[in-house]
Amino acid sequence: MFGYVRPDVPEMRVRELERFRACYCGLCHELGREYGLAGRSILNYDFVFLTMLLWGDKETCDYELRRCAVHPCKKRCVCQSAYPLTVAAGYSVILAYWKADDAVRDSRGVKRLGAVCARRFLRGAYKKAAGKYGDFDLEVQARLSELSKLESERVPSLDRPADEFARLLSSAGLAAAESSRRALEQVLYHVGRVIYLADAYFDLKEDMEAGRYNPVAARYGLGGPDAPEEVKNSLLETMMASTRLAAAAFELLPASYWTPVTANMIYSGIPNMCRQVLAGTYRMIKRRAPKSPSATAGGTES
Amino acid sequence: MTDPYKVLGVSPSATDDEVKKAYRELAKKYHPDNYVDNPLADLAQEKMKEINEAYDLITKQRKGGGRQGSYQSSGQSGYQGSYQSSGANYAQIRQAIQSGNLQYAEQLLDACPTRDAEWNFLMGSLYYRKGWLDDARSFLQRACSMDPYNQEYKQALNAVNAGGMPYRQAGYGPPTQQGPDMCDMCTAMMCMNMMCNGCR
Repeated sequence: MFGYVRPDVPEMRVRELERFRACYCGLCHELGREYGLAGRSILNYDFVFLTMLLWGDKETCDYELRRCAVHPCKKRCVCQSAYPLTVAAGYSVILAYWKADDAVRDSRGVKRLGAVCARRFLRGAYKKAAGKYGDFDLEVQARLSELSKLESERVPSLDRPADEFARLLSSAGLAAAESSRRALEQVLYHVGRVIYLADAYFDLKEDMEAGRYNPVAARYGLGGPDAPEEVKNSLLETMMASTRLAAAAFELLPASYWTPVTANMIYSGIPNMCRQVLAGTYRMIKRRAPKSPSATAGGTES
Repeated sequence: MTDPYKVLGVSPSATDDEVKKAYRELAKKYHPDNYVDNPLADLAQEKMKEINEAYDLITKQRKGGGRQGSYQSSGQSGYQGSYQSSGANYAQIRQAIQSGNLQYAEQLLDACPTRDAEWNFLMGSLYYRKGWLDDARSFLQRACSMDPYNQEYKQALNAVNAGGMPYRQAGYGPPTQQGPDMCDMCTAMMCMNMMCNGCR
């Protein structure tokens, strides 16, 4: 369900795009260093965003040239290992493991088999990450179990399940410095809401066909996979309002090395993503992703 | 104190106009109107104070630079205006919401026997404060339809529809209908201005 927070590339300066790519590659290398191949396979955009938000306001970024399996011919400029990269890598492993665990319980047939394999594949990496970040691990488990409880009750509310996921994401703010923690938690909370709502709408068709719970369908009492225009408008309004609150909190964070990039993602990348998801064009863009320069390291879907 | 030029993000060699422009932009960004009912309102207020002080200091240093007073932060807009207090309980709930004691407010609201317009409004405010925007909108819409002439309810609904940071329009991507929203915002601003003047 991840990878929704991405930059709006045409709106970026060249140096901002290069920084973003270096951070993306840096996170991939960090995952590889700490957690091996299993770690690398779960790389996604949302955690690049988290990495950049966790960056201290006084720190700059050091780069190095590295080769990898996806780009064997030419060395790429990547961020050197730093505290925010390490934390974001650990957090993403924990989250990916519990998502796989969730999928094992929720799905059937081939999909379930796939989820079992994924969980097995991630097990070693998860153990290592959970040992390091026990607090976050417990929080993720608590929130996800609440979430699956709400889903099995089929609650007709958008905000209640979204709240659980948003709190899960905002607990990643634990790793931030004391001075910026409060604002960061709010940014992550509202971004988490947007991710959850976007994902719910994105999965609407699939969920309806499989007879699974879907918060959008339950909230608006939809009978089929096609949402009427007013439902889309209402959903877009809610997502945009959350984005604005995320932006309001974002402006209270101290400016850091990554601010130009994260500002692009909040002010332009997220609103674009919301519009695309609701217009039904997001799937297409997702598939095209590897061609865009920022997604070259592969493994963006999860 | 930190360098006032750094606070405003301009170089010390900037012209008076550049300083003023930077100040205005920041003041617009951190204006209390953008943080109505926001749990981070206190941080925004601090930031606003910092900006005001920096601007005042610079203009004082530069004397001849056409000194104009900084924006006065209008304090907590929103609740101050119209207390109707139908029952002491609602006042208590308002206080609880304002001080951020959301759990207590929710308990009190659950215990309320009546579900009138104000109750719906308070529920809406509570959810807005929590960031549960879909529920907040439903409750506020109900409050507005039960009492369509109440400015406070209307304002709160506007905050849900337009509060927070206005995001800039992206260069590409499908066009969105902006017209009516901007009009709504303007009217909301005008209403707020009028009410603020009334309080003084």
